[in-house]
Amino acid sequence: MARAIAVTGLGLVTPAGIGVDATYERVWSGSPTATRDPDLAGLPVDISCKVPEFDPGKHVGKRSNLTMDRFVQLAITAAVEAVADAGLDPATWDGARVGVVVGCGLGGVSTWEMQHRAMLQAGPDKVSALLIPMLVPNMVAGHLAMRLGATGPNFVTATACASGATAIGAAMSLLREDQCDIVLAGGAEAGVSPLIVTGFAQMGALSRRLDDPAAASRPFDAGRDGFVIGEGASILVLERESDAHARGARVRAKVAGYGASADAHHMTAPDPQGRGARKALLAALADAGVGPDDVDHVNAHGTSTPLNDVAEASMLREVCGGATVTSTKGVVGHALGAAGAIEAGLTTLTVQHALVPPTANLDSQDPAVELDVVAKAARAQRVGVAVSNSFGFGGQNAVLVFTA
Amino acid sequence: MSDMYDRLVDLLVTRFEVDRAEIKPGITFEDLEMDSLFLVELLLVVQSDLGVKLDEDSASPRDTIERAAELIAEQVNEAAAAGAS
Repeated sequence: MARAIAVTGLGLVTPAGIGVDATYERVWSGSPTATRDPDLAGLPVDISCKVPEFDPGKHVGKRSNLTMDRFVQLAITAAVEAVADAGLDPATWDGARVGVVVGCGLGGVSTWEMQHRAMLQAGPDKVSALLIPMLVPNMVAGHLAMRLGATGPNFVTATACASGATAIGAAMSLLREDQCDIVLAGGAEAGVSPLIVTGFAQMGALSRRLDDPAAASRPFDAGRDGFVIGEGASILVLERESDAHARGARVRAKVAGYGASADAHHMTAPDPQGRGARKALLAALADAGVGPDDVDHVNAHGTSTPLNDVAEASMLREVCGGATVTSTKGVVGHALGAAGAIEAGLTTLTVQHALVPPTANLDSQDPAVELDVVAKAARAQRVGVAVSNSFGFGGQNAVLVFTA
Repeated sequence: MSDMYDRLVDLLVTRFEVDRAEIKPGITFEDLEMDSLFLVELLLVVQSDLGVKLDEDSASPRDTIERAAELIAEQVNEAAAAGAS
């Protein structure tokens, strides 16, 4: 287990709240956040899960609205919390040994849409000189480096809805290969824009439960009809376990294994046999040095789409059918490129507190889902080994294994 | 101060989140923590508001607000003269 990486800090900005404590309270209470979104009024689907009461001026700094898209603002807020949570001080750390790896599926899409509208309506003279630095997805890692003086390896991973988990896997390699002493790893996404939401709606991927939005995201439930788009950011401070112990850091949990694979099957549909997902899960377990029977709990990808949930469930039943399963997307929706990182953060907390959060809206479990899915209330249990699954459009699979 | 100076001050306050109290004729864009990218953006906004083409290097971050107003006013006047002839 010497290859295990310590999670010494965590920052969460999610639809369940700003900060780890606010998010924990709402997710573990199982209270859904999806609601009708006035910014999407008039579109075929106008439900979203958004970060409540986010104030860029207060949380990020003056003029941040002029230079940063929302996905960057959310990431900075999470990163600042995570670094403080780890008891680290960017004023004194050796920045050359600090890396940043952030998953992002889309980039600054709201900025893109607004600027495109301005160009079409009023001509190219109205296009901002800050358009490009605000929309490129890699800028999120660049901004974290600037804010925190982190001059080590710095990049963004894009594997759609697995991006955040891929970032954490890449960060583990940087630490195991001794390229860094500290890596800020996670994900950020702010994709609740009219064009993006409509694009997902046109694919048939989104829930159309417009008359009851709080019940729209219902992973593993028989009545599920699609996902609810969310947003947010999650940053984990990762260090080698020996370094964390040497400086007396509190270790919330360890991320012990990572596995990745490609379905090579279809642009958007998962392999119905879950072959790619299973391969990634088995690789992650092997990397962690544990077996399928050791898995106590799975934080599922569990998007609440008809196809994903049944394919994921049958794969899980086959590999580690005895583990409890939850999908936190019932509360926070699907934050796309940030989802894997948010769920990594929530799985860290699950391991730390030995308390599994419930899957919101699981009223009538789909009979095809033959698993012990935690519903209605949080469940106290032993969580020595926990898995976090993330699967992206494009057939990209990333699985993380956490240990106590 | 000139009309152009007042116009720049209004723009800095309304579009660039600068405190009005911070702005004085002798203060530079750098003092206001506005880098070259901000200045390009400011010139684009001025250009679009006035309907006049400005040189990209009409002002630099080290210029004072007063100096930038002069440089812009010169170009606006030149453009007006060219248009009248």
